[in-house]
Amino acid sequence: MIRFFVSIWSNFKEYIVLTILLIISFILLSQNNTTGVQRVRSIAFGTFASVTTMFTDLFNVSSLKNENNELRRTNAEMMLQISKLREYGITNHELKKLLDFKDSTNFPLIPATIVSKSLIKSQGTITLNAGKNQSVKVGMPVVTDKGLVGIIFSTSDNYSIARTLTNVDLKLTVKSERTHENAIMKWNGDWLVMINVPKTYDIKKGDRIVTSEISSIVPFPLPVGIVADIGDVQKGIFNEVKIQPFVDYQKIENVFVLGIVKSKEIGNIEFNFLNR
Amino acid sequence: MIKPQYILSIILFFPVLLIQITVVPLLSINSVIPDFILILLVYYSITQGQIYGSVLGFIYGFLFDIITGSLIGSTMIAKILAGFTAGYFSSENKRDQYLIPYNFALIVLLSGIIDSTVNTFFSSVEFNTNIIFVFFEHALLPAIYSAAIALMIMIFYPRRKNF
Repeated sequence: MIRFFVSIWSNFKEYIVLTILLIISFILLSQNNTTGVQRVRSIAFGTFASVTTMFTDLFNVSSLKNENNELRRTNAEMMLQISKLREYGITNHELKKLLDFKDSTNFPLIPATIVSKSLIKSQGTITLNAGKNQSVKVGMPVVTDKGLVGIIFSTSDNYSIARTLTNVDLKLTVKSERTHENAIMKWNGDWLVMINVPKTYDIKKGDRIVTSEISSIVPFPLPVGIVADIGDVQKGIFNEVKIQPFVDYQKIENVFVLGIVKSKEIGNIEFNFLNR
Repeated sequence: MIKPQYILSIILFFPVLLIQITVVPLLSINSVIPDFILILLVYYSITQGQIYGSVLGFIYGFLFDIITGSLIGSTMIAKILAGFTAGYFSSENKRDQYLIPYNFALIVLLSGIIDSTVNTFFSSVEFNTNIIFVFFEHALLPAIYSAAIALMIMIFYPRRKNF
């Protein structure tokens, strides 16, 4: 009997090892969201990111000059816009006061630098040098001056990982800014697409797409992109809308984490309402 | 007894990963990037054998998934199969031939196609659009890019000298 097993092992050991390793991998694949795995992940990327930061800084120096020029130009443009907006702001403030509106626009911004990027075509993630110590929490949106970059997925003490919009696991509710029509947006490996868009929707090429208030992840409007193309699905009643994102995920280096997560109070009310 | 090369192969992973996530994005051509970790894995699979290639693929995949925040298990499976495939070319008599730059690049290409295809499969990219296009863009192009880089490394790296 032992001789039989020994002969099987000596003849097929490569395949036996392969099978065992694949089985372990499949088991781990199903354990992704367990607390233990999340904790190990948090320690691993936190430790590695601290080394990566030093390395990234070396490469950032060369691009700082270009970025400075770009920022100077943006600054000048912003200054002109601010003077205009300030005027509107004063009027708006007075009107809001009159209507007793709650001002909900004071979002705290946590600055962060990208220390590494995983540019696997379908699973875009970025590691940021801001973590729990800087009040970054899972679920917070990551933005630049151009728009939404992604959502914080995991945090350690001083670092965090965010899933970018080019990650197939991130799906968001977005809307057309012009028509206020909502749809689910996801990354299909090549494009950001709004899926299952009824053909009756009045979405046109060039429309600005922002996150929707009804989103369970980003419940306020943040710029996402513009409609690049509207697929003509012959069968069925739904269209697929391609979106060109405002943010170039390959070029971004500095981002802000919006220091807010969706109100738990609202979530609980909705949950209780649905369970009545 | 654990060979020093076994430990070295794991230690080497970390600087290579550092390069992969900091420098390599700068080399991307239309979002297509070479996989330096795969090149290292193929090298060790050829020099150390098929079983070692599979186990090393498992370790590299696990470390990559856990550090970069990818779905744990997806890169592991891809790298195990890539290491196993490259391990077919670990025959002791022909090992030196397989480490000739052009042969090595072809093995990287083959392993790269398997690695990228499995990764694409686990990323739930929609295959219903055009499977040939998906295969070309997500599997073949990154594999060709990795093979080209592997070719350059092997041309400039002195043979018979182990990592």
